[in-house]
Amino acid sequence: MRALHPFTLLAVAAALPALAWILPAPAGGLATAGIAFCLLGSRGLRRGLWPALVAAAPFWLFLLLLHDVRTTLAIGLRISTMVASFVWLAAVLAPDRLVEATVARGWSITAAYLFAATLSAVPMLRARARRIVEAQRCRGLSPRGSVANRLRALRALALPLVLSALHEVDERTLALEARGLVPGARRTPLAPPPDRVVERVVRWGLLLLCLAALVRRVA
Amino acid sequence: MTRLALEEVTFWYPATRAPALREVSLEVAAGEIVALVGKVGAGASTLLLVAADLAPRVTGGRLAGAVRRRARSGIVLPTPWTQLSGMAFTVWDEVAFGPANLGWPGHEIARHVDHALERLEIVSLAARDPITLSGGELQRVIVAGLLAMDPDLVLLDEPTAELDPAGARSMWRLLRLLAGEGKAIVVATSELDAVPDVADRVVWLEAGAVRAIGTPQLLAEDAACDDGLGTTVARIWRAAGLAPPYPLTVADAVQRWP
Repeated sequence: MRALHPFTLLAVAAALPALAWILPAPAGGLATAGIAFCLLGSRGLRRGLWPALVAAAPFWLFLLLLHDVRTTLAIGLRISTMVASFVWLAAVLAPDRLVEATVARGWSITAAYLFAATLSAVPMLRARARRIVEAQRCRGLSPRGSVANRLRALRALALPLVLSALHEVDERTLALEARGLVPGARRTPLAPPPDRVVERVVRWGLLLLCLAALVRRVA
Repeated sequence: MTRLALEEVTFWYPATRAPALREVSLEVAAGEIVALVGKVGAGASTLLLVAADLAPRVTGGRLAGAVRRRARSGIVLPTPWTQLSGMAFTVWDEVAFGPANLGWPGHEIARHVDHALERLEIVSLAARDPITLSGGELQRVIVAGLLAMDPDLVLLDEPTAELDPAGARSMWRLLRLLAGEGKAIVVATSELDAVPDVADRVVWLEAGAVRAIGTPQLLAEDAACDDGLGTTVARIWRAAGLAPPYPLTVADAVQRWP
């Protein structure tokens, strides 16, 4: 699945929720949720299905409290499709391949950067947070114990994390500029992922399928 | 051939009254290594930003005087982890980030990246994710990223700050090699003991102004030693009450030992 072109993965992840909302409920939602969870199943229970089920569960709970069973089923399946599609996309979409694909397609370097920096920000922030927690522990702060303790630890983590991130913006701007990341630069794609004809056909097919379903729904 | 010329350059950061640089004049020739020394806040980093055309163009602020560059410049800032591109997920891609942005053909990028990785002795790291590297490894990666862009004017701000002694020695050797290839190099460093073996000239900055420019022998003068800018050997020689001129290095000291 990871070998597919990033745009194909994006198209599948966008088409499933779109169809879930366009097709008549509950059959449409059931079909799209089924496909999305099948895709997720290929990632295994722990890395695929479980995070999606955990993320979707609160929505089902609130829907049950607010609506009758029929409405809950209709909206719940649609939301589950959205959640499952997103979790699947996050699991299979490699940020570097997405960047290469966007650059190869002639997108501006700044747009590609926006994509990649957003996707790589989480692991970088996590690594920095870990360093800050270690430093705070060395200074006697314990992130365990009572709620008050945990809140105190959270504050001691959040403040340096935010301040250091803000400070980093200045230097990173200088560094990126020095390394040629300027508006209008024509970046050379380093290893553009192959975009096969069949994948392009699938993407157009998904778009047409969504449009056809929408037309039928409106008519 | 002059690669960089600063004439009476004064620079103010945004919303500050006192200039960070005051009437600095300096020329750097091809094949020359100039070391910037001074206390923290003396203006060395700012001078490098001005030389790299990042101040005031990117930082904002105001510049008086003239800056002439006759070469493409590249700069390494002091903290390596803030210089990661955020767009690369292997060291090879990180080093290739700059050349790719220059729009070079793929084979040219590969040639320069492989050469830079070899020069920094980090070929074995090529497939690693940059965010998993140690500070020293990351510093080499960032320097490799600069060299892969093949600048004629190399600007380095504390390039050995994260390196172990052996790594630092390799870095200084590399700078001499680069100068031998005709690159002009300006390096801000607090590793004063390395300066005599590396630099052709030393610029001593104080409160944003040039206090003195000369050969590395400057770091063995009384004034520099008084300011904490003498080499270790010069300071020990002086503290021992031995006669000037003070030796700069251990090798000098052995020769002059009475």
